[in-house]
Amino acid sequence: MELLRARRGLLIGLVVLIALVVVLFATGEEQALVIGTISGSAYGLVAVGLVLVYKSSGVFNFAQGEFGGVALATLYLLDANDVPYALAVVGALVAAVVAGFLTERIVVRPLFESPRVTLLVATAGVALLAIAIQVWFFDSQGRPIAKAFTRTDRFSVLDVQLSDQRIWLIVTLLVLAAVLGLFFTRTNLGLAVIGASQEPTATELVGISVRRLSTFTWSLAALLGGLAAVIAVPDTGSFTPGVMTSNYLIPAFTAAVLGGMTSLPGAVVGGVLVGIVQSYATSASIFQDGGALDVPGTPGTLIVFVVLVGVLVVRPQGLLGKTA
Amino acid sequence: MGAPVTVTSPDAAGPVQEVAEEETPAVTRPGRFRPSPLGWVPRLVVWAVIAWVVLIVPLGHSAIDLQDFTRAVCYAIVALSLNVLLGYVGQISLGHAAFVGIGAFMSAYMVTTQGQSFWIGVLAAGAIGGAQALVLGGVSLRIRGLYFALVTLSYGLVAEENIFQIESFTGGGAGQQAPKPQWFESEWRYYYLCLGFLAIVLLLDWRLMRSKGGRALLALRENPRVASTFGINVRIATLFAFVVSGVIAGLAGALIAHNDLGVSATTWNFNLSLVFVIMTVVGGLRSRYGLVIGGAFFALMPYFLEKIPGLDNALAKIPAPFDLTPELAPLVVGPLLLLLNLIQFPGGIGQQLRPIARWLGGHRFDLHDRGLKEVQITDVRA
Repeated sequence: MELLRARRGLLIGLVVLIALVVVLFATGEEQALVIGTISGSAYGLVAVGLVLVYKSSGVFNFAQGEFGGVALATLYLLDANDVPYALAVVGALVAAVVAGFLTERIVVRPLFESPRVTLLVATAGVALLAIAIQVWFFDSQGRPIAKAFTRTDRFSVLDVQLSDQRIWLIVTLLVLAAVLGLFFTRTNLGLAVIGASQEPTATELVGISVRRLSTFTWSLAALLGGLAAVIAVPDTGSFTPGVMTSNYLIPAFTAAVLGGMTSLPGAVVGGVLVGIVQSYATSASIFQDGGALDVPGTPGTLIVFVVLVGVLVVRPQGLLGKTA
Repeated sequence: MGAPVTVTSPDAAGPVQEVAEEETPAVTRPGRFRPSPLGWVPRLVVWAVIAWVVLIVPLGHSAIDLQDFTRAVCYAIVALSLNVLLGYVGQISLGHAAFVGIGAFMSAYMVTTQGQSFWIGVLAAGAIGGAQALVLGGVSLRIRGLYFALVTLSYGLVAEENIFQIESFTGGGAGQQAPKPQWFESEWRYYYLCLGFLAIVLLLDWRLMRSKGGRALLALRENPRVASTFGINVRIATLFAFVVSGVIAGLAGALIAHNDLGVSATTWNFNLSLVFVIMTVVGGLRSRYGLVIGGAFFALMPYFLEKIPGLDNALAKIPAPFDLTPELAPLVVGPLLLLLNLIQFPGGIGQQLRPIARWLGGHRFDLHDRGLKEVQITDVRA
């Protein structure tokens, strides 16, 4: 029965994807497929971090975006001080991991036994603090940030240029998804993390420290958030304090919900789907001024909201998640 | 069988009772403490000081300061609104800036574009706040806890990026104007008007919680499943609380709009929603005086920071390219207070002030009376 249910989710996902592709080609918006996959990869990367934390601690980590924000700020600082780019990236990722570690120690540990919504509010507080500190140090203007790879003409799919930076993003996502999938199913550490989330007492009884696992998971999630930020945001050219939370967090959450909050591959798939749908909404002419479904402001935000509510109302466990 | 049943009349114990009353006149019911007339004096003095600080002291300040004070009153109303959802029902709204902001725009729109009076504007603001809550809550009836928080956050973003961009409603980038009402044009009169609204909201909140509906909400927060076995319709009750919260939020928005003499879309963002949640939690859930103080404190934080001498110099010594401006202070101090609150003092300011508040209400001063031991936001198997 479990297999049938999982397959049913997969089936629905496939149908949705095919329908999307058909609609996009029919309306002449097939570029949204490519652009959506690129932005969706970023959402997927953040979403994987969200699912990771949810699987292990049961909490929605609202600070996931700002773990990436910390990485971005560090990258900008190091790059502006003429540190070699590769070192700057490493430094940024280290900063993100430190942020995740500190959050786990200072915020999550004391609230281990508290209701999950209390933790949600606490992580939201952490996010706000991070944004505030960034605004304090950088003020709210956007600042230019350099890419890792500047070559843009290697590939182009459907007339959309796939710069090296973008290829890096997609490849990182795929590699990470595969590695994490193997990690959770084949390695002892991964199984221990899953076990700790399901039965903390039993896990402690067999001699595994649940607290150390929690620290590890949050640091790993922070690393993922940092990676997403460091690869995806320079592609847009500039960084603003709070950009990770305002532009990436909600679509990432929607992606995680769509994929099923307990499913890592679901997060990846969800990310790409959300990216494509949002890209379609942003560029399709019927949503622009004067179109049939004229949406004021950015249609992308509205469509992500519609998808989120739609998934929660129609199929709360998402595509690949276990029953909610 | 026919023998009459003798009922001992209560007056039979009369003489004994009367003697007891004469001996200890202050205690009419054993176990209930009433302060003696001498005990009332310090209490009334403190009440008088509080009244003086709230009603008289602001008058000595400039008009700009009065605007800050009025904003503090409006934030207190917002805290009370969020408390209905967070404290009484246990559901969290991370998009409350949208409710307050749309209320603000509605009132401005009604007064400026439609030419209605301030009172119609306020009414419309409350109505649209409730309507939003009705629609949003109606759609998310089955969604609870963590997921509900997510939906409200997403809704806040939609308001920021879609609803506030409707030019005819919000005036686009320029925002809308919102003049003060006819007899309350000066700052201090408007301050008293807002105090009046705060008093009405406090009264309504108090009456609501003493009614059967209020008890249903509290039961709902404790354990929705058990509450439903008592015949409480979980969804309808949650929706009702949401609508009440929305109406009060819209009202607060209208008051803020006319206080600032205008509304602009950039104020009502995600950061503000979080500040609202933080000030409600730090103020103390379910504690009316705590909420008022929490809301006022966060609104007045920039004001206090400006008034503390030497703070600018101290802050300037911190090596950062930009100064910690007073506007930024709530965003930095807020989360720190929140974390302190969640980890160490679950009941917030209200819990800490509870001994004093109980004393003022005519009870004994008990330093260890902290009310409930832990403030649960909600326990959800999401």
